[in-house]
Amino acid sequence: MHEKFKRLGFILPRVANKSVDSSVKKEQKVVVDLSDRELVRKCQAGNLEAFQGLVAKYYQRVLMVVLGIVRDRDDAMEVAQEVFYKAYSRIRHFRGRSTFYTWLYRIAVNQCIDFRRRQKREPAESNEGMDEVPDEHGRNPSDVIESAEFLKRLYAAMESLTPEHKAVIVLRAVEGLSYKEISSILGCSEGTVMSRLHYARKRLQEKLAPYL
Amino acid sequence: MTMDCKSVMEILGAWLDGEIGARESEAIRFHLESCASCRAAKLRLERVEESLSAAVKAQASDVSWPQFWSGVERRIREESERRERLWSWLRPGSYLRRLAWAVPLAVVCLLVILLAEQYFFRWRLGPNLSSVAAVESIDGHGFNLALFGEDETNTTLIWLFLDEEEDEPSAEVPVADTTF
Ligand SMILES: [Zn+2]
Repeated sequence: MHEKFKRLGFILPRVANKSVDSSVKKEQKVVVDLSDRELVRKCQAGNLEAFQGLVAKYYQRVLMVVLGIVRDRDDAMEVAQEVFYKAYSRIRHFRGRSTFYTWLYRIAVNQCIDFRRRQKREPAESNEGMDEVPDEHGRNPSDVIESAEFLKRLYAAMESLTPEHKAVIVLRAVEGLSYKEISSILGCSEGTVMSRLHYARKRLQEKLAPYL
Repeated sequence: MTMDCKSVMEILGAWLDGEIGARESEAIRFHLESCASCRAAKLRLERVEESLSAAVKAQASDVSWPQFWSGVERRIREESERRERLWSWLRPGSYLRRLAWAVPLAVVCLLVILLAEQYFFRWRLGPNLSSVAAVESIDGHGFNLALFGEDETNTTLIWLFLDEEEDEPSAEVPVADTTF
C-alpha cells in the first residue's frame, strides 16, 4: 500500500503544527494545492489510485472535523467514510473554483449536519447529568483540564451547540482555518462565521465555567 | 485607542484568530497587559480549544489507514457492482433471455388486472351496474325533455315532446339519437 503512495508522490498526512510560522504554513499550502489539483485531475479521469492518495492525505483531518461534530467514534467513522465515498462519486463535478480540501470539508460538514438531523428523529440517549456540578473539589484545575473527566464535560458542553455552531468551532480551533475559508465551506458570510464563533465560545465558556 | 473589558471580551476570540484589524489588535494587547481578568479569560478560551483540538486529534490518530480505507473502498465497490448489475440489465445482448420471462409475466399481469377490476367493481358497485340504463326527464310547462342513457352500448336517446295535458301522449317524437 505504501509503495503505491510513494509512486504517486505524496506523503501520508501529518497534523499541522499550530505553532508553525504563518509564512511557512502558506508555502506548504501552495505545494499541497498543486499536488491536490494533479490528484483530482487523475481522479476525474477515473484513476482510483489517485483518489486513494487524496483519502490518505485528508482522512485524518476529515475525521477530526467529523469527530468534533458527531461525538461517537463509530458514527464518526461511518460518516467520514461516507464523506469520501460522496467525494469520489461527485469528483467529476469539482471545478476547482475552491481548493479541494474546502470542497471536501463542505461535504463533511453537510454530511455531519444530515447525520445529526437523522439521529435527532430517532430517540437519542440522554446526556443529562453531564452538566451537573463536578465532584473534583480541591483538585488542581490544571490537572482536571487534561483529565478524562474534563473531556467528558467538554463533549457535553459541545453537545449543547447546534451542528452549525460545532462546525465553526471545529473548523477554527481544530483545523485552524480562516474565517474566509470557513465562510466558503459553510456557505455563509464571514460576519456570520464571526458571530457563530462568538456565540459558540461564549456558550462553551459558560458550560465549562465551574471546571476552568 | 483604549478599550474596556466588555469591548475586549466581544472580540477576544476574533483577536486570537488573527481576524482583527491592526489598531484594534494593538488596543487589545495594551488592555491585556494591564487587566488580569481579561488575561484569565484569554487563557480559559485557549484552554478549551486546545483541549478540544487535542482530544479529536488523539481520537482520529487512533484510526488506522487500512481500517479507514477499507470502509471507503467497500462503498465504492458496492456502488460499482450496483451499476454493473444495472448496465448488464440494460445491455442489448440479454434482451432475448429477458423476453422469455417478460412474455408470460405480461400475460399474468394482464389477467390479474382484468380479474381485479371485475371483482373490484362487483364489490363496490353491486351486481352488473354497467348494464343498467338511466332515464332522466325535465318537466317543463307543456314542453318536456327526456334523456335515456345506456352505458353498455354508449347510447343516449333524447326525447323532446309536447304535453298538452291530454290523457294519451300523442306528440311523442324521438328527436335525436346520438351515440357519444
Ligand atoms: Zn479587562
